[in-house]
Amino acid sequence: MADYREAPLATRPKTLDPAEYFNLSLDQRRAEEERAGLRAQLKRQYQMQLNNPHRKELIEDPALTRWVYARTNPYNHFRATKKTSLLGGLFGVVPLFVLYYVLKTDRVWMR
Amino acid sequence: MAAVGFRNWARALSRGKQPGFSALLSQVRAASGPSKGMLPGPYPKTPEERAAAAKKYNMRAEDYEPIPDHGEGYGDYPQLPDRSQHERDPWYSWDHPDLRRNWGEPIHWDFDMFIRNRVDTSPSPVDWHTMCKHLFGFIGFMMLMFYLGEKFPSYQPVAPKQYPYSSLHLERGGDPEKQPEERERTNVAGSKAKSAAEERHAEGERP
Repeated sequence: MADYREAPLATRPKTLDPAEYFNLSLDQRRAEEERAGLRAQLKRQYQMQLNNPHRKELIEDPALTRWVYARTNPYNHFRATKKTSLLGGLFGVVPLFVLYYVLKTDRVWMR
Repeated sequence: MAAVGFRNWARALSRGKQPGFSALLSQVRAASGPSKGMLPGPYPKTPEERAAAAKKYNMRAEDYEPIPDHGEGYGDYPQLPDRSQHERDPWYSWDHPDLRRNWGEPIHWDFDMFIRNRVDTSPSPVDWHTMCKHLFGFIGFMMLMFYLGEKFPSYQPVAPKQYPYSSLHLERGGDPEKQPEERERTNVAGSKAKSAAEERHAEGERP
């Protein structure tokens, strides 16, 4: 496994990352502890709701709500820049003309 | 989520201060559900906004990095590593084991692409260049062989089907009075038997 090289689009698993073994500075350890703390708090919240005998409704996940909201409302923060205009033109406007031209010439030829 | 939206719409229509259609336009949102501060907002510009956004998404302020803003409309949504759920530990006790995700954990923008039925970013058993060589080598070889097969065909010898007697002269619409023209026939099968019969015939004639 010492000569393992990952594919360009794939990643190296955390357990094969040498940085995890050799570069454990105190800051990194502190960071990992903070992340573990956040995780533990979320786990606790979930378990409290899950095992609550008086709960009658579904457990709502705010992260899911935020994700859905973000995915369904991109136009609130949309700006017309060069990149977005180019993409919009390429995918929205050009196919109309191309398809019109292709279908028109194809039909004329077939007749 | 769609049910929530529909409920709001129905509620706005029935209860709205302005009657009818204009109730829909007044951006009425139900009082239940997340407050405005808990939903995604615009791209954070100041460090305070960043810290608030990190807290909102349950991330460390140092870990939080919003998606770079080129106008596509991501807002302050965090840029999480592009790793599929295939790569997550299968033996850890996730809150949602099929999604390999914990409750409240920030969701990647393309989460629905990275679920375990879809895109897999885990390391491949063979490295990229070997995979490319194998695939394109095989396809190239097959294309070459098919091209050569078209150029130099090789099959058992064939001939047009031959019919006895007048070679279907009448059936092909020939004149009943006229004699059919002699077609050249090639003896394929039964040539040996025919010559043997001819020999016997010739011998028989001789006394």
